[in-house]
Amino acid sequence: MSGDASVNSEPIIRYRGVTFSYDRSDSTVAPALDRVTLDIRRGERLGILGPNGGGKSTLLKLTLGLLTGYSGTIEIEGRDPHAAASQRLIGYVPQRVEAELAFPISARHAASMAATLGCSAFGGVPREIRERVERALEVVGASGFADKPVGRLSGGQLQRVMIARALASNAKILLLDEPTVGIDPAGQRQFAELIARLHDELGLTTVVVSHDLRTVAASCDRVACLARTLHYHDSPQGLTPAVLAEVFRHDAAAVFGDLHVDAHRASECGHDHGHEHGHENGHDHGHTHNHSHRHDHPGGGGGKP
Amino acid sequence: MKTWQYLTDPVLREIFVPPVLAGLAIALFGGVLSALVVMKRLAFIGQGISHAAFGGIGVAYVLGLGAATGAGGLSLQFVIVFAFCLLAALQVGFLTHSESGRGSTGKSQSDTAIGIVLVASMAIGSLLLHIAERNGRVATVSWESLLFGSLINIDMTYAVVAWGVAAVIFAVLFVLRRPLVFWAFDEPAAAAFGVRVRVMRLVLLVLLALATVTAMKLAGVVLATAMLVLPAAAAVQFSASAARVLGLSLVFAVASVLIGVVLSFEFDWPTGASIVLTLAAIFGVGWGRARLGGG
Repeated sequence: MSGDASVNSEPIIRYRGVTFSYDRSDSTVAPALDRVTLDIRRGERLGILGPNGGGKSTLLKLTLGLLTGYSGTIEIEGRDPHAAASQRLIGYVPQRVEAELAFPISARHAASMAATLGCSAFGGVPREIRERVERALEVVGASGFADKPVGRLSGGQLQRVMIARALASNAKILLLDEPTVGIDPAGQRQFAELIARLHDELGLTTVVVSHDLRTVAASCDRVACLARTLHYHDSPQGLTPAVLAEVFRHDAAAVFGDLHVDAHRASECGHDHGHEHGHENGHDHGHTHNHSHRHDHPGGGGGKP
Repeated sequence: MKTWQYLTDPVLREIFVPPVLAGLAIALFGGVLSALVVMKRLAFIGQGISHAAFGGIGVAYVLGLGAATGAGGLSLQFVIVFAFCLLAALQVGFLTHSESGRGSTGKSQSDTAIGIVLVASMAIGSLLLHIAERNGRVATVSWESLLFGSLINIDMTYAVVAWGVAAVIFAVLFVLRRPLVFWAFDEPAAAAFGVRVRVMRLVLLVLLALATVTAMKLAGVVLATAMLVLPAAAAVQFSASAARVLGLSLVFAVASVLIGVVLSFEFDWPTGASIVLTLAAIFGVGWGRARLGGG
């Protein structure tokens, strides 16, 4: 825990054969996650890329300890997700839509919420923690609007506050859920720069979960592709259209509709592989539904490099 | 000015002072709790609690505790009604917010189930009250004061109970203020940072049930829960800062209880109606001010 960003040290998060089903009573339904094995290395910037319904948010909730009942193991610094959450090892940055923005609080107050959880109930916030919050606001460039009510912040500003909240909590890992949804292109560029700075200056491990290839390409060194199981590649540059097509083939139109050149190549490759069968075969059981057909991709089940 | 007579005459003062004291306690915890209720959008739970309370009151009347005064009878009645309110709060609070992953059909089914249980509780309450009246357990059921509140219900013992409840609520809110506010603001993130969100929800629901039962004697079954919603609902029309919303909410709650109790004395109006209409008027002013460009 020396802030050593060496990629050869122990993984900071270790997934081993993680399988999860929302409906375990029905064995005909494919699990939301199927034997996901992945090491997240200390100090790296990992992107978890995948289509909507591919299990990204399931993996995220499992990692945060918000869902239980999985098989396999998840270890965060050697602890299970529940223990990791209570020790605030992971700084979670949610999609912006989840907070109550009508809440009458300032950006600074919102940023301090995670950091002050550990404070004694009988007394104020120690100066050390107040300073930590201020430093976090400064690092993300939110000092200028720290006194504004959260309801009056732009999407990008709010995101910075959420990142500051995670930083101020002294989390070792920053876990960002769809960080560029609803953020304009300029804000997306700033976001990528901020992630790079946090990585370089603080040696933080950052995990960006997104369905957007551009987001992952701009802010990550390494990419894991998740579509129920893991399809893995080491760098955004190394992601071949064939792998992308494999991962995204179920909703290629929805995901690649705005991706121009890559989209064409990717979907063409998808045709070449002849994987179009079973396309509309998704189950309709709520927002967590998954692609139901089975396939035996060579990378399935084992994501280790 | 009847109020002045009540205040100056030593005998009448004994009638006037307890409801004012109890009302102040209720205003204080109502003002604070309403901030959480409004922010967490839990206003609908109030309806559930008041419906269920009716069932509890029916049970109390049938057991001959309806017109109970004094510490023993009062506390037994309090416990029975509180049990009903708590069950309703937990049922509404947890079933409508059950874990994600449940399909939309499941939710609408639980909504229906909740609706049926609450309405049935209300029906049982009114039936039991009727039976209690028939069997002479109580001379007459004063429906108006039951539903809309009355000052006559409140003696000094009750004022002490109200302040005790206020102390409990404030102590719990103070100790849990940081995780509670985090939870109310951003539940998924709070959970990810280790806040035990189910415990937070449980705590708030228990406090709401306790608060409603306490406010019920003063403001009536139907209007008690308004005391747990309107102060902060009005306050957010005036400010966007947490501290000021809390402060205004308290001020509005205290002012409306005092004004409502005085109106109730002066004109023999139902106490709950007087308080709630005062709060509604403040809300209306704030709403108009915010919408018509006054602020």
